[in-house]
Amino acid sequence: MTAFVDYLLGGIGSGAVIALLAIALVLTWRSTRIVNFAQVGQAMATTFVALAVREVTGSWLLGLAAALVAGAILGLIVQALVLRPVRRMDTSGAIIATFGVLIVLQAAAAMIWGASPQPFGPPISNAGLELFGHVWPISWYDLLTIAVTAGLVIGLGLLLTRTSIGLAMRASAFNPEVARLSGVRVGRMLGLGWAIAGVVGAVAGVLIAPSATLSPNSFDIFLVFAFTAAVLGGLDSLVGAVFFGIGTGIVLSLVTGYSDSSSAPVVVLVLLAVSLILKPEGLFGRGKARSV
Amino acid sequence: MMLEIDGLSVSYGAVQALDDVSLTAPAGQVTAVIGANGAGKSTLMRTIAGLVRPTAGEVRLSGALLTGRRPEDIVRSGVVLVPEGRSTIPELTVAENLDLGGLWRDSIARKASKSEAFDLFPILAERSRNRADTLSGGERQQLAIARALMCAPTCLLLDEPSLGLAPLIVTQILDLVHRLAMDTNLAVLLVEQNAVTALRVATHGIVLNLGRVVMAGPAAEISSHQDLRHAYLGY
Repeated sequence: MTAFVDYLLGGIGSGAVIALLAIALVLTWRSTRIVNFAQVGQAMATTFVALAVREVTGSWLLGLAAALVAGAILGLIVQALVLRPVRRMDTSGAIIATFGVLIVLQAAAAMIWGASPQPFGPPISNAGLELFGHVWPISWYDLLTIAVTAGLVIGLGLLLTRTSIGLAMRASAFNPEVARLSGVRVGRMLGLGWAIAGVVGAVAGVLIAPSATLSPNSFDIFLVFAFTAAVLGGLDSLVGAVFFGIGTGIVLSLVTGYSDSSSAPVVVLVLLAVSLILKPEGLFGRGKARSV
Repeated sequence: MMLEIDGLSVSYGAVQALDDVSLTAPAGQVTAVIGANGAGKSTLMRTIAGLVRPTAGEVRLSGALLTGRRPEDIVRSGVVLVPEGRSTIPELTVAENLDLGGLWRDSIARKASKSEAFDLFPILAERSRNRADTLSGGERQQLAIARALMCAPTCLLLDEPSLGLAPLIVTQILDLVHRLAMDTNLAVLLVEQNAVTALRVATHGIVLNLGRVVMAGPAAEISSHQDLRHAYLGY
């Protein structure tokens, strides 16, 4: 039983970063109906930026700040690369284009920073906390990750539902023509959606890095996890992305605990496949089915 | 304030949707554009709003050129379209749909517009926290018009507001639009397939057929013109 509780708790920290990456996917999907598979490549690139700044300044926070800025800029660039040229095609063309961007980002990162994994340590202790004579599988770093995720989700929720900009963003996503006819600068709002997604992805990258090391491909598996969480959550729902992001983290932790880590991704993929067959609109989604 | 349309032509590929259409919509009155399905009425409205690019001709508001500007800039200059089909956003609440109109305006002006909208359409105040898809068709049409009014229009373009609504509700909505035009010196361009209802509130009427203006004149004259009615309006 203690083992079970340990595995459960151990999954929450990694689940929180999966949730963040899933939120980034949800944000681009909501604003432009495109699943941005390049998101994980953007997160990798911005984490390299964070590493570079951190090495120069010695400050994790400055590294994170640099990653945030780079994330916003990269988000806008990727949107321009993917969305503008393929606007006349259907969105599946754009989704394939995001794969192209991912490959380019990974190749570019390998040329600039090299392909070998580099350590990216946590800014605070990543060792399990000792409490009531038991070493729990949750560290200060996990708590930081969870707090950052919670803060971002609440902040994004407030931005989208309580502010004029958020209303304009949601309207632009739901019905660009009606938004435009109400005077909203829709192009800017969609760009803002991608920039915010880039920022959230950048946070996810910096937070993932200590558990994955940093190389051009080391985040790839997180794309599978985050995509699963986003799809299970209905792709439209921030709450769904968080719920299933943390859920995916827990499933991974349980599978790894009771069998071994190599079977964990397979279990997640099976979950994704089963959910798409049984409930293609996602568990938090509503109405019309979609093809991804 | 006056909307002037001069020699407007639009084609979709080989299809000429509008051919040299000219008309004016003066402030303080309703101008009706009537015609059968496919006459080019919606194309006319969408072109004025900047959603469709004309191949020739221009649209001016009190002399200022609107043609070639982006839809969101045309809205901000005061020409606001309520598109066909009750264009509310179902996922948003009634209040959010309203707030969406005129977001660029300062908050004091928007608050004033909102309370005016609630006075005009009390049902929207009652339902303000409900999602827009819980409204009836007539209520959604009211919401769409109210959102357009939030943009502080000087010229309101209404595309088939009667579509799918019960006659009594159509009468109510058009009477309200008529009153609004007179009271607030608004120029209203009303597109309707339902000619009788539209001409009842309009001062002037324009009959479109296959993209061309076949008649323009005082509304009363058009409604009494029997041959024209038979030929183009089908009643």
